[in-house]
Amino acid sequence: MNLVKILKNAFLVVLFSFVLSACATKTKQMGSQLQGDVYTGTDTVEYLAKGVPDRVFFATNESILTTRSRDTLRKQAAWLRKNPSINVVLEGHADERGTREYNLALGERRANAAKDYLMTYGVSSNRISVISYGKERPVDSGSNPLSWSKNRRAVTVKAN
Amino acid sequence: MYKNLILSSGFHLFIIFFAMITLPFVAKKPLDIPPIVSIELIQITDETNIPYAPKAKKIIEKVKKEQEKLVSEQAPPKKIKKEKPDSIPLPDEKVEKIKKIEEKKQNPEKEDNRVKQVSEFEKDEMFDPNQIAALIDKSKEEMALTNEKSLEVSQSQDPTMNSKGLTLTEEDALKAQIFGCWSIPLGLPYNENLLVRIKLKLKPDGTVTKTEILDHARMNKPGQGFYKVLAESALRAIQLCQPLRVPSTGYERWKDLQLNFDAREMLEG
Amino acid sequence: MIRKIQITILLILFFFPNKVHSLIEVDITRGNLNPLPIAVSPLFSDEKTINNGKTELEISDIGSEISKIVENNLRRSGLFNPLDKKAFLQKPDIAHFKPRFEDWGLIKAQALITGKVSLKEDKLKVEFRLWDVLAGREMVALAFTTVPNNWRRVGHIITDKVYERLTGEKGYFDTRIIYVSEKGPKTRRIKRLAIMDQDGFNTKYLTLGNELVLTPRFNPTNQMVTYLSYFKNLPRVYLLDIETGLQEVVGDFPGMTFAPRFSPDGKKIIMSFAKDGNSEIYTMDLENRIVEKLTNHPSIDTSPSFSPNGKYIAFNSDRSGYQQIYTMKSNGKSVKRISFGKGLYGTPVWSPRGDLIAFTKLHKGKFYIGVMRTDGTGERLLTENYYQEAPSWSPNGRVLIFYRETKSDSEGKGFSAKLWSIDLTGYNERLVETETDASDPSWSSLLSN
Repeated sequence: MNLVKILKNAFLVVLFSFVLSACATKTKQMGSQLQGDVYTGTDTVEYLAKGVPDRVFFATNESILTTRSRDTLRKQAAWLRKNPSINVVLEGHADERGTREYNLALGERRANAAKDYLMTYGVSSNRISVISYGKERPVDSGSNPLSWSKNRRAVTVKAN
Repeated sequence: MYKNLILSSGFHLFIIFFAMITLPFVAKKPLDIPPIVSIELIQITDETNIPYAPKAKKIIEKVKKEQEKLVSEQAPPKKIKKEKPDSIPLPDEKVEKIKKIEEKKQNPEKEDNRVKQVSEFEKDEMFDPNQIAALIDKSKEEMALTNEKSLEVSQSQDPTMNSKGLTLTEEDALKAQIFGCWSIPLGLPYNENLLVRIKLKLKPDGTVTKTEILDHARMNKPGQGFYKVLAESALRAIQLCQPLRVPSTGYERWKDLQLNFDAREMLEG
Repeated sequence: MIRKIQITILLILFFFPNKVHSLIEVDITRGNLNPLPIAVSPLFSDEKTINNGKTELEISDIGSEISKIVENNLRRSGLFNPLDKKAFLQKPDIAHFKPRFEDWGLIKAQALITGKVSLKEDKLKVEFRLWDVLAGREMVALAFTTVPNNWRRVGHIITDKVYERLTGEKGYFDTRIIYVSEKGPKTRRIKRLAIMDQDGFNTKYLTLGNELVLTPRFNPTNQMVTYLSYFKNLPRVYLLDIETGLQEVVGDFPGMTFAPRFSPDGKKIIMSFAKDGNSEIYTMDLENRIVEKLTNHPSIDTSPSFSPNGKYIAFNSDRSGYQQIYTMKSNGKSVKRISFGKGLYGTPVWSPRGDLIAFTKLHKGKFYIGVMRTDGTGERLLTENYYQEAPSWSPNGRVLIFYRETKSDSEGKGFSAKLWSIDLTGYNERLVETETDASDPSWSSLLSN
C-alpha cells in the first residue's frame, strides 16, 4: 500500500517537475525577449561602447519610450557627453505590419522620441540627426511577432 | 517650429545644393519613348458592310454618324491632359483614308441565308453538341440545354389561355430563354437608370421580324454610352434567342411584344 | 410634367385603345454574367510588305502577335472571353473584308475582331474592325500607322477601342505602370524605379539601385514621376522627367519629405513633411515654388491624395489614436474623418471617376484592399491577404493595382513582393507579371486617346 502511494507520489512529482520545467523554458524564451510586445532581448543589439546598447524598442504603433529604453538612452547620453567629438544619427524603424508611408512617419516619430530624450540628458541637438527607414530595413526577416518586435526600434549610429 | 524651420533651412539649402551638383544617380540611358500612334478612321462604307435590309442600312448610317461624333468628342483633350500636346513629340500624322475595299454589293438572298443558318445552328446544338462546341464554354451549353428541357415541360403544361397577356408559365418560359441569351455587359454602372425597352414584331414560329428600341433617341445622346451598350446587348440577346419560345397558340395576342431589359438587379448583386 | 404625361396617356388611350391593352410587356431582369464571348481573328499580314521589313522587326507573324496582345488584354479584363482560335472557321484575310457571321455565330462568338497589317516605307500600318456577330454589322473600324517598334502599343490601342465600344467606358490598356523593382535579401533590399507596359512588357529601369527609392507616382501627362529617394541618406521627394532623365529635389524642406503625389492638374505636388516627430501635409507649386502647409496637428498626417476635380484631399491620420482616413478641402479646411469601420485604414486614393476612395485596411492581422464612397459609406473589401497595400487606380476607375508580400522565416525565405490587380467586382484578381519582385505600383493615364 505504502509502496503504491510512494510510487504515485513519485510519479506526480516527476510529472509536475516536467510541467514546471516546460513552463520555465517557455517563460525563459518569451519572458526574457518580450514584455507586452516590446522586445527586451539582446539578439540584435550592438554596443556603442562597453555597456552602452545602441538601440531601443517600441510597442506596436507606439513611439513611447519604455523604462528600459530610457535606461538605455541615459547610458547613451552619458557616453555622448564623455565623447563630445562624436555625432550620431538616430535611425527610426517600423515593423512590416503597416503601410509603407505611415511607417515612414512612425519611424521618424520613434527616432525623434529617442533624440528628445538624449537632449534632455544634455546632448546638444546639433550632434544628433534623425532618419526614418520605415519598414525598409528590418534586422530580422521573419514574419512573426518576435521578429516584428526586433524591428520596431530606434538605433543610435555613430556618424563620424 | 517656424524659427527652426528658417534656421535650419540655410544649412539644408547647402546640402540640397550640394546634392543637386552630385545628383546623377539616375540611369543614364535615355528612356526611349515611342512616338504616339496616329489614328485614322476607316470610313464605314456600304461596301464594307454585310448585306442588309434598307432598315439595317439606316441603322448603320446612324452608327456612322455616331462614330463621327465619338471622334469629335475625343478630340479635345481631357482637363488633366492639357499639357500633353507640347510634351510628347507627335510623328507625322498623315490622315490617309483607307481605300474603299473592293467588294460586291450585297445580294438580297444573304439575309435569308443568315436566318436559316441560325435555325440550323440550333439543330447543331441539339444533336451534335460535342464537335465544335466542345472547344467553347461547356457549362454554358449545358445551361442552355437544361433551359430548353424545362421550357418543354412548362409548355406542355400550358393549360388555360388568358385572353390578355401571357400566362405565368408562358411568361416564365420566355424569360428563362432570354435570361440564357443575355450577356449583361459587366462594365455597366449599377447606380444609373438603365432600362431598355424593345418592341418586337414576331412571326407565329417566334422569329423576330422587327425590333424597335423605344427611347431610341437616347442611344445617340452624348454621355449615354452605357445605355447604348446595354441596348446593343439586349438586341444581341434577342438575336441569339431566335426563334423565341412563344406560346403555340394565340398569335394575335403576342405578335407584338415588348421586352424591358433591366440589368440593375444583376449588377448590384 | 405630370400633366404632360397625363395628356399623352389620354391621347394614347384615345387613338390606340386596343393596342395599349394588347401589348404584352415582359420584364427581363436577369441574364448571364459570363464574360462576353469574342473572337479575335489573327490580323493577317500583307505578305509582300511584311517580308521587306522583316529584318527590322524580327517577328515572323506580327499580325497574330498583335491579336495575341488584344486577346490577352481582353481576357485579363474579366469582361470578355476570347474564344479558342482552333475553332475559327474563316481565314483571317477573308474575315477582315467580309466575315461570314454564321460561321462566327456557330462558335458562339458575339463579337469579332479582324484586322490587317502592312509595312510600307518603314511604317507599320494596322487596321482593325470590330463586328457585332449577332446583328451582323460593323461596330468600329480604325487604322493606325506608326514605327514598327510600336507594334505592342497598337495592340493595346485596339483593345482600348474595342473595350470602349462594347462596355461604354474608356479602356485602360494603352497605359504604363511605374513601380519599384526589388531584389536581394529582405534586410538589404535593393530597389530601383522601373516602368513597364500595363501588361508587363517593355520593362525599363530608371535608377541604378544605389539608393533606396520608394512610392513613384506619375503626373497626369505621364512624363514626370515624383518619388521618394534616400540619395545621400536624405529621404526627400524628387521629381524625375522620364524622357530626359533630369531630376530635382522638390522644395527645400529641412527634413524628410515623403508620400508625394501630383495634383490632378499636374501643377502641384502634395506630400508629407516630417519634422520633430510630427508629419504634416504640404503642397508645393512646381511653377512658383510656393509651399503651403495644409494640416496642423501633432499627429501623423500622410498619404495625401487629391480628388480628380482638385477640390478635396483624402489623407491618412492617426489623430484619433489610430490610422484612419480623413478628407479635407484643398485649402486644408473642413477636416472630416470618413473611416469608422473596425481596424486601421491607410493609403486613401481617390478614384479617377471621383466617386470612390480606395484604401488599405489592417484588421485582426489581415490586410485588405477596399473601396468606400467619398463620405465613407458603402465600404467594400475587395481582397484579403497576409500583406498587401498601396492601391492605384486604372485610368477608367475600374481596376486597382497594388502590391502583395508573402510571409518569410527569419532567414527571409519565402519572401516575395508582387504586383496584383483586382477589379471593382472583387472577382477578377490577377498577378501582374514583372521581371523582378515589385512594389509601389502607380498606373499612368491613357497614353493616347
